[in-house]
Amino acid sequence: MRRSSRGIIITASVLVICFCALLVMMFDYHGAREEAGVTYITKGTIDTGAANLVSAIYLNYRLFDTLFELLVFSVAVLGVRFYLAQQRGNEEEVTRIPESQVIRTSADLLFPPILLLGIYLVLFGHLSPGGGFSGGTVAGTGLLLCAVALGADVVGRRFHEPTLERFEWEILLAILLLALIPVLFGRLPFTDLLPRGRLGSLASGGSILIYNALIGVKVFIGTWVIIHYFVRHRGEI
Amino acid sequence: MTSQQALLVLLPFIAAFGLTRRRRFTAVIGMGMFSLTLSAVYLLLNAPDVAITEAAIGAALVTFIYVLAIRKTGRLVIVGDEAPGLLEREGDRITGLEQEILAGFAHHLGLDLVVHFLPREEVEEALLRGEADIAAGGIVHVDAEDRLLKTQGHLPTGLFHLTREDAVEPKQTQETEWIYFSDVLEAIRAQEKGAYTLDLARFIAVSRLDLSGYAVERLPGSFSYTFLLPPDREELHKRLSAYLDHLRQNGELDGMIRRYFS
Repeated sequence: MRRSSRGIIITASVLVICFCALLVMMFDYHGAREEAGVTYITKGTIDTGAANLVSAIYLNYRLFDTLFELLVFSVAVLGVRFYLAQQRGNEEEVTRIPESQVIRTSADLLFPPILLLGIYLVLFGHLSPGGGFSGGTVAGTGLLLCAVALGADVVGRRFHEPTLERFEWEILLAILLLALIPVLFGRLPFTDLLPRGRLGSLASGGSILIYNALIGVKVFIGTWVIIHYFVRHRGEI
Repeated sequence: MTSQQALLVLLPFIAAFGLTRRRRFTAVIGMGMFSLTLSAVYLLLNAPDVAITEAAIGAALVTFIYVLAIRKTGRLVIVGDEAPGLLEREGDRITGLEQEILAGFAHHLGLDLVVHFLPREEVEEALLRGEADIAAGGIVHVDAEDRLLKTQGHLPTGLFHLTREDAVEPKQTQETEWIYFSDVLEAIRAQEKGAYTLDLARFIAVSRLDLSGYAVERLPGSFSYTFLLPPDREELHKRLSAYLDHLRQNGELDGMIRRYFS
């Protein structure tokens, strides 16, 4: 016990020292390639047609990096499912803590606006702050609120969970295929083929909107799957 | 000082607040506050995208998951029937010697105390089903089930047997045989027929009523009040016993007893 806690303290101290060293070095670092940043700012909106430069970078210039971010998320969901499936769940029906009327009513009242906000963040991610990752999480949190009020299993049945789980992987496949389509036209993968559109309108920014929508649904499902697996194997919500 | 600097100065304080809380719920709320403040900092740094994500994940989702986890583990659930002076309702509050002991114990563990009132006969079932952590409310050593863990008695008591056979029949026969102490009190007030075994605390409350029609007998032997725990909660049992010993040694228990029974 004492040995392991000493090991933890040493590891933590090393981590903190490394982190501080990194901070000190960052103060010394003035951006090796400032021209890259300047290019993004001056030409970003023209190149991609997206008013939100952040989306323009991570779903157009750096789509390759984002793909791996998405893979990290998928592996996290897979890990939760894999390791929790090995544990025996609560087979017997646990007596639910009676939920207060306040929570049930506020869940009914809040779920539609939260879902709407999530969808808005996804669909307007290329025009204003937001995007698939944050929008998907917002919608997933809304669903979690419902699960608190109604019980996770009820919500899981209502949303046809096995279909959802398969759908999550199909979306990942769709994103990969979408990124590879340009190859058919003799272009490099991850090239955006769609027209740029009028800056500021919903139909602008090429395929950023499509990627945002796919990522949004994927994150929404992933959030829900993680939460539900925790609930199912670690006790009633 | 700009608002951004003010928020940055605030951050370590909120973090320290969250880290030093003993009560888990407060700590989680502190963590949520930290995320929300951090998200405001991001917004002021012209990073609204990051701010939205921080607010959605840090302040909403993670806080939510922690709150759910705490609902399951962050409270100490007590079951028991009302016992005057030990565990009783006083308006919205719950008072009594056992309430005070267990509230102190829950605070010691950093948990929230939750009390569910159940008829005495159902208390043991609730413990065995895993619905509660500790049973209290005037439970006497001898009539507790053997499967359950018991603490060393914290207060000596006696058992009294009340019977009345000549009186009026109960007005309405109850469907269930499990009854609350408040029902017993009502029955004796109405001078109904019946037989009850009561502990000292409850007997004192009953003795304020007219007992002339009842045959009262004190059972021989020495008894004491105890707490019950489910058989698989050895760790909790050890900690509660240690806590009770600690109260006994520094005289706090005697002080509490004097406050409630003098």
